[in-house]
Amino acid sequence: MRIIIGVADMKVSNQAEADLITYSLGSCIGVVVYDSVARVGGLLHFMLPESQIDPEKARKNPWMFADTGIPFLFKETYKYGAEKGRLIVKVAGGAQIMDDKGFFNIGKRNYAAMRKIFWRNNVLIKAEDVGGMVNRTVRLELSTGKVWMKTSGEGEREL
Amino acid sequence: MTQVEAIVQTIDRLPPLPAIIHQALQRINDPRSSAQDVVEIIQYDQGITSQVLQVCNSAYFNLRRQVHSLKEALVLLGFDTLMQILLNKSFHGVLSRPCQGYDLDTGALWRHSVSCAILTEIVSRRIQREPDSRLFTAGLLHDMGKVVLSAYVGETFAAIKTLVREQGYSFVAAEREVLGIDHAELGGLIAEKWEFPPSIIAAVRFHHTPWLSQGDFAELVGLTHLANCMALLTGIGGGADGLYYAGDPETMHQFRLREKDIEKCLVQLNDRLQTMEAWLEVA
Repeated sequence: MRIIIGVADMKVSNQAEADLITYSLGSCIGVVVYDSVARVGGLLHFMLPESQIDPEKARKNPWMFADTGIPFLFKETYKYGAEKGRLIVKVAGGAQIMDDKGFFNIGKRNYAAMRKIFWRNNVLIKAEDVGGMVNRTVRLELSTGKVWMKTSGEGEREL
Repeated sequence: MTQVEAIVQTIDRLPPLPAIIHQALQRINDPRSSAQDVVEIIQYDQGITSQVLQVCNSAYFNLRRQVHSLKEALVLLGFDTLMQILLNKSFHGVLSRPCQGYDLDTGALWRHSVSCAILTEIVSRRIQREPDSRLFTAGLLHDMGKVVLSAYVGETFAAIKTLVREQGYSFVAAEREVLGIDHAELGGLIAEKWEFPPSIIAAVRFHHTPWLSQGDFAELVGLTHLANCMALLTGIGGGADGLYYAGDPETMHQFRLREKDIEKCLVQLNDRLQTMEAWLEVA
């Protein structure tokens, strides 16, 4: 069973037969967490670094922003018995267009905002595939905890 | 026959633009014609009229009474909404085709195109311009050329990819280098063949090279360019060409936009995109 996560969206599940998948990460970042003891995993597809540019939107849709979405993702997995120390974190996305003036570097800002949140909370990233100018699809296989990453136009590989 | 001529000839394989859409587009893009003029034209096509009314009467709009004519729909929903429904219904088919050369599945190009169309309006509002129905049209149709060029990109993908990944070409520049023509120019030719207004032809042709457009259409071209950059950043409907396209800093300067403005525009995209998807699910 495929559970699809849209843009600015999040899903957490402990159903062993489920796959959490998000398509088309451009400058957005997909954050995958998995606890192999509680067998629970989650996937967040956030779009922008900071909720302060539109706090009202953040109240309605916290998954749009790194600073509101990431804490939400972790807390949601705790409800299913996950523990912070056991959660494995993998991330992908944060691409950018060709732009030497930095007007369009949301991907970099997304990555920086995410790193800051992880650093403050002592969370380590186990694996990542970020930057560049490619679209990425990310899939968490809940039966194994494996994370698969596909770049548009190429094959799927484990992250 | 040269390769470019062969590619240009394949435009003929596209379905012709329905006459009613052609006439409606002429009027949508003519500032002298009124909303009533456009409705007059469309209402003679029962197929399109009933499709548009079906959307108007759907649960989405939750109107208190049943709408029976386009004139009523115009009063209740406004001209821009009515036109967006019409354009979506008219071009959804051709823009939803899979484009394997770009690794785009069914519906992907439409999602990218409609995201761009919505963003042209969002950016235009951000720089405080008057509403202009050409914006949505230009955004929706900017990548028409990909529908035709897809087959050729597929055949030569390895060569294009080498230029892009190893020599720093943008995808559109690599298309031009390998095939002799790129999807923006080809899209411009399609728009010409369909006798679109000159402003829309310019927006399609120059959406990756806004600095080449001058005069009356420069603003529409610039807005289409920026909206496309933002749509690419979201990854929505993104393909094998990825984000290998250049954003023009001059256009940002012209409109006095900063990086934060891009974020503020993107925040507004999701809700509107869901709206348009809901329209298409009706019928």
